This record gives sequence, C-alpha cells and structure tokens, in this order.
Amino acid sequence: MNPALFLHLMSIESRRLLSYRVDFWLTMVVSLIVQVIVVWALWTAVFAESGRDIVGGWDLHGILAYGIFVFLMGRIVRGGDLQMEVATEIYDGSLSRYLIYPCNYGLTKYAQQLGNIFPDILQSFLMALIVLPFMGTSTTVDLNFTGILMSLPSLLCAHLLFYIMGLIPQMVAFWADNVWSLSVMMRMVTMLLGGGALPLSLFPEPLQTLLAWMPFRYLFEFPTLVLLGKVGLEEWITGLAICLAWCVVFLLLTIPVWRRGTLRYTGVGI
Amino acid sequence: MIEVKDLRKIFQIHKKPPGLAASVKSLFRRDYVEKVAVAGATFSVGEGEIVGMIGANGAGKTTLVKMLAGIIHPTSGEARVLGYDPWEKHNDLRRQISLIMGQKAQLWWDLPGADCFELLREIYQIPRPTYEASLRHLTEMLQVESELTTQIRRLSLGERMKMELIAALLHSPRVVYLDEPTIGLDITTQKSVRDFLLSYRKDHAPAMILTSHYMEDIERLCERIIIIREGELVYDGSLQRVIHEYAPYKRLTVHLSRSTSATMEREILDRLGEVVEEQAGTIVMHVPRDQVTSAAAEILRKFDVQDLSIADPEISEIIELLMGGREKTTP
Repeated sequence: MNPALFLHLMSIESRRLLSYRVDFWLTMVVSLIVQVIVVWALWTAVFAESGRDIVGGWDLHGILAYGIFVFLMGRIVRGGDLQMEVATEIYDGSLSRYLIYPCNYGLTKYAQQLGNIFPDILQSFLMALIVLPFMGTSTTVDLNFTGILMSLPSLLCAHLLFYIMGLIPQMVAFWADNVWSLSVMMRMVTMLLGGGALPLSLFPEPLQTLLAWMPFRYLFEFPTLVLLGKVGLEEWITGLAICLAWCVVFLLLTIPVWRRGTLRYTGVGI
Repeated sequence: MIEVKDLRKIFQIHKKPPGLAASVKSLFRRDYVEKVAVAGATFSVGEGEIVGMIGANGAGKTTLVKMLAGIIHPTSGEARVLGYDPWEKHNDLRRQISLIMGQKAQLWWDLPGADCFELLREIYQIPRPTYEASLRHLTEMLQVESELTTQIRRLSLGERMKMELIAALLHSPRVVYLDEPTIGLDITTQKSVRDFLLSYRKDHAPAMILTSHYMEDIERLCERIIIIREGELVYDGSLQRVIHEYAPYKRLTVHLSRSTSATMEREILDRLGEVVEEQAGTIVMHVPRDQVTSAAAEILRKFDVQDLSIADPEISEIIELLMGGREKTTP
C-alpha cells in the first residue's frame, strides 16, 4: 500500500470521528470522572487498610498515577469504535467492497485504526493536562521528558500488537455469525493479564516471570511503566523486541486463517 | 473479456427450526442443508457487450456476479476475467473491474461524496488530471455536482445510487458488474441511470453484466440476456431471439363495434386462439404465430371490427415462461 493512501485512510477516519462533537466531549468527561473516582477510592482504601506506605513497589500517589495513565494508554491502544470492525464487516457483507479494491485489507483496516485513535490521543492528552496538577508527588514514579519520548514507540507497538491479536478472534466471524463473546473475553483477559486493571508487580512472582514473555504485558503495563520512568533503556529495548516478535507471530497465524476464512465467505445472501 | 466454464457454487446453510427448544438444541448440534446457488454456468462476455442476467430472487444471479468479482470462491469450475482468475485477487485485475450493488451501499456512509472519490483516487492510483476530468464528466452527466459535499447518508436514494455509479466508474473499469442498479429508484432516476450507462458503454466499451428485475432495464440496455432458474442457465442468447423462438403465439387485439356475447361468435374466437382478456368490446387473444394471418382475416370477415392489431407478446411474459421450466438453450 502506498504511503499516501495509508495517510489518506487515517485522515478520513479521524475526520469522521471528530465530526461527532458531542460524543467527543461527553466520552472524555464521563470516562475520566469515572476512572479517577474508581482508582482513587480503590487505592486509598487499600493503602489505608494495609497500613503500609509501599505496596508492590508503589506508594499511593505512584499507583494513582499508574491507574490514571494505564487507563489513558489503554484508550489509545484499544482504539475507538473499530475494535469489532472486521467481524462486523464479515458478518454484514461490507467486506465485499474491500475485496474488490486493489489494496491490502489488513493494512486498510490498520490505517483506519490509526486514524481512529487520533481523537483518543487528543482526549488522553487533554485528560492528562487536567489530572496532572492534582497528582501528588511520588517517590516510586518519575514522570519526565525522556519517559514520555520512550513511551511513544512502546505505545505504537502496543497498538499494533492489540490490532493484530484482535484479528484472529474477529475472523472467527467467517465460521460463526456472532463473535461478540470472543471480543469481550479478549478484552477481559488482556485487561487483567496486561496490567490494565492493576500493576503486574502485585501478581505472584512466577506469574510475573511468565507474563514477561507473554504478549499481554506489552499492551498496557509496559508503555505505562515506560512513561512513568520505571523502565531502563535495556529493558525498554527488550520489551519492544518482545512486543514486535509477538506481532510477527500473530501476523503469521492470521494469514492462513484469513485465507481459509475468505474461502468460506458468502458476502451475505445468494 | 469474461470467460466462464462450468462454474458451480454450493452453499451449506444452517437449518434452524422455529421455537426455543430448537434454538437450545442448535447450541449442541446443527443441521445443514446444501443449496446449489449456481449449477454449472458456462458463458462469455465480450468487449462493449451488456449482458442482462435475469432470474427470480435466489436464482443465483448475485452469487454468479460475486464469484466473477472475486468476492466469493466457487465450489468448482473455471472463470477468466481479462485473463485473470478473479478469486486470485490480482491487483492488476482489481484495478480494471467494478461492482455496483443496488441493495448494498459501498460508499462511506459518514463522508461526503467528494471525500469518498478522493479516497478512491488514491486506492486506484488515478493520476490527478485524469481523476478531475473523469469526476467532472461523470458528475455533470448524472447532474450531482451540487451534492458532492453532502454526506452520503443525507442523500436521497437516487442521488446515492448516482454517487455509487460515479465511485464505481471513476477508474474507467473495463469490466463492470451491475447488480440491480435501479432497484428502488423512481422512474425518472431509473431512466437517467440507464441513459448514463448507455453513454458510458459508448465511450469506454466495457464488458458489463447487469442483473435486474426491471424489464425496462433489460430491454433498454441489453442485446443479450442470460436467464437463470434455480442456479441453472436456461437461456443464453439475444433478446430478439427469445421473442421469436420462445413466444409460440402473437398477441391479437380486436376492438369490436359491439360485445361478443353470442355463443356462436365466442366459439369462433376460441377456435382461432386463446382469449386472454375480454372487456367492453375489446378482446385480447393469443394466436399461434403461423396462424395469425388467417385468424386476423377470419375475424375481419366474420365480425364488425373497429380496429385490429397484431404484436409480439411482452418480453416479461416470455421470460416468465422460460423461468417456469423450459430446457436449456444456447445460440
């Protein structure tokens, strides 16, 4: 796919989403308020009950920062309303139009996904600006410019991995009419094992070691830890390499599933 | 440009009986039936030819078109479109074909036409000057210049179909599949779409396959038709030949000075042919083609006739007859 087309697809998708102005502001305000309340209520209670200053390597303000930033990162990694786009297009036959276009379907959808997260990036940035002044100082996190710069490639890799990982469950739609349950399951599993709900340092040691080699951690926890200055350069490079390796693995798994799936595709109706 | 040989498509369809018990049962075990959508189609379409594909709902027309567009794979058989195997999805082929589905919008719902076309320019890699000239020409012909900045979802059905046509023809395809392009449109828009397609054919000479339930589309656009019945091609030939060869009768319309209630007069008419309509002194009859002259002469001789006309039956009647159960025939 030529770069101009890729950028054009991205831009069109962003423009489409930004045209829904009410939706843009409402989603941002409501989701931010809910997340701040949940994170604050949960962790202040945990720290108060335990009577400790440090839990799993985090102080209270540090883990509050993690809770807020992993939420903002997660919004970008998961993207907006295109999470089930491939499954929906297979189900309702809209895939047909892409099959006659002289361009790669997977790249087309990825370009649209990237365009789709632009409003999320904008929202997350605005939300971070709102929340930052109210964050207390922490001894366990260090939010600085280097961390912000290093988090950008981590975020991009996480987004790519989430997209490719999501393709196989979505392509089950070639065989089954409704794959919504698979999507919910994937969301739950990635949230829990990816550190979207709580830092993986709170998990038992053997599970942490295992998760370090699994793809989930690189979706949410890794880019957030990088942003909060908790990842050194060597660990950052290793993390990116593992994340990209999983991208390749899932891509290689996706290709035969796509080939077999399109053989079954009916385009809806006879 | 399109060569099809013994193309077959069989779908496996999940049978779901009504009721809650059946739904629960289907969670554990499902029954499937085979549906033959296309049963061995063989035909070809040349440059500049518009072939009308006619058949009842579910006859297999759309399935055939989807296979030739490379959207679905056949169960067996061969097809070559511009020398390519369509389901191999070569980009060289995809740049030269187009599909318009009247029942399914293909443009981006939330975008204005101008944005959709710009995106298609990138997809098909159309050089800017060619694109601009082509867009200007197409929008002028279809008279939608003023609607280019309106979101597709806010357009009327007719305007939307015109935008779909522009989107499908911007890259000047050499093969065009039109699946019910005039469905749901008012008579004026149907006519403008037909005129537009004829003009496009004149300028670009593409191979076109058109499916439609409107006989007006077929009669105006196609010299050749293919009739499909339950997945089988039952007729492939010229529109004129279908009338001459498959209409065993002519339509005789007689206007009499008075009604023919007398039993004897009615007996004469019944002997000459089949009376299909009779009201207020007007009789419509189907008369065997080889007896039409003598029948007309006898009617003129024996009745007080104001007017008499002889015509071929409606094409739709003949096609209905063919779809009802004639054997397969090719020219």
